Amino acid sequence: MSAPFYKFGLFGDNVSLIIAFVIGIGFGFFLERAGFGTARKLAAQFYLTDLTVFKVMFTAIVTAMVGLFYLSRIGFVDLSLVYLTPTYFLPQVVGGLILGAGFVIGGYCPGTSAVAAATGRIDGMVYLGGIIAGIFVFGEAFPLVSNFYTSTSMGRVTLPEFFHLSYGLVVFLLILMAIGGFAGATWVEKTMAAKKGGGKE
Amino acid sequence: MSGFFGTLTLNKKLGLLLGILGLGALVLGNPYRGASVTIDTKELGRIVETETDHVSVEELANWIIQERIDFRLVDLRSDSEFTAYHIPGAEQVALSTLSEHGLQRNEKIILYSEGGIHSAQAWLLMKAQDYKAVYMLRGGLDEWREKVLFPRPAANPTAEQTAAFEKMKEVSKFFGGTPQDGAAEQPTAVIAMPKLMMPSGPAGNTPPGSTTKKKKEGC
Repeated sequence: MSAPFYKFGLFGDNVSLIIAFVIGIGFGFFLERAGFGTARKLAAQFYLTDLTVFKVMFTAIVTAMVGLFYLSRIGFVDLSLVYLTPTYFLPQVVGGLILGAGFVIGGYCPGTSAVAAATGRIDGMVYLGGIIAGIFVFGEAFPLVSNFYTSTSMGRVTLPEFFHLSYGLVVFLLILMAIGGFAGATWVEKTMAAKKGGGKE
Repeated sequence: MSGFFGTLTLNKKLGLLLGILGLGALVLGNPYRGASVTIDTKELGRIVETETDHVSVEELANWIIQERIDFRLVDLRSDSEFTAYHIPGAEQVALSTLSEHGLQRNEKIILYSEGGIHSAQAWLLMKAQDYKAVYMLRGGLDEWREKVLFPRPAANPTAEQTAAFEKMKEVSKFFGGTPQDGAAEQPTAVIAMPKLMMPSGPAGNTPPGSTTKKKKEGC
């Protein structure tokens, strides 16, 4: 039997909820351990003084990518069954910008705000309230934006398909980007720390 | 060399490992499996025997009424038949273009044709290509007509059957059908199929040829 197991193998909707709960708790735990439960740490990313968020996220992306690539190469995962979110180019760019703006203003992204709220931080709870209010407003206003929401549809598209490159090459290029990004981020952090230290003296 | 490796921090070692895996990926190429498939005939036989490859017309009717969007309904009949009548929410796909239609292998797909032969053939073709959740509408459009659009009460109904029929009458009306409960008895052949405009609700009325956009669960 090959993965994904959800819907096509070991378990269905009910068990998937239990598994999602366990994975969610684990995810929250490690976000907290990485220091992502505090808005200062997250906001520091935008002042270029602490790029942990960037490093953690990029690490997660390349780990998942390499894992999926090799597991499917040895036949353990059937990649064509893995759900792909359809691409709607412009709406997703706009959505990303809005999320980013909220990230800067509030100091959290949706997942980390849940972590912050769970550890008792009041700003995290307020942020969560904002998310719920936002979901409600969006849901009620959806008819107004539904045309834009489904515009510039590109279907389920992957980078190799879009750029007509081989999958292996894209994996390799992303790994180069990641390693370059990690080195660059560390360099930026050091430079900023030196500047800050120099300014104080 | 081992001395050099020893001087690296854990992060650098992990980075090195990542680089090696990346080079490996470059060589290995495509992670998707190719076009060739193998059929597990025993497994397919078991599915057919246990009839887990079917969806009944009553189930489908309920799903449409509940506005469920977790499945795609595929009509395998000709253009003209599709234009004349189709089950609300269905999209028309010709048997020969099944694999090019953009049906995803991880989607729940319900196939129907007039009787059951075409849908059974399409079912086997899709199963061979490893579509995971593909089902046939039991009895096809014939049974849809008989049980959903124009249901008849049983000859000597038990209380249970009568209750079930009362329920089906409502379902039938939802889809614009006419329950055949004796009051306005007419032979089925004369009864006009309901107009395509009839079923209310967002699931209905797909213009012929267009694909229904289904919103799927994201992350």
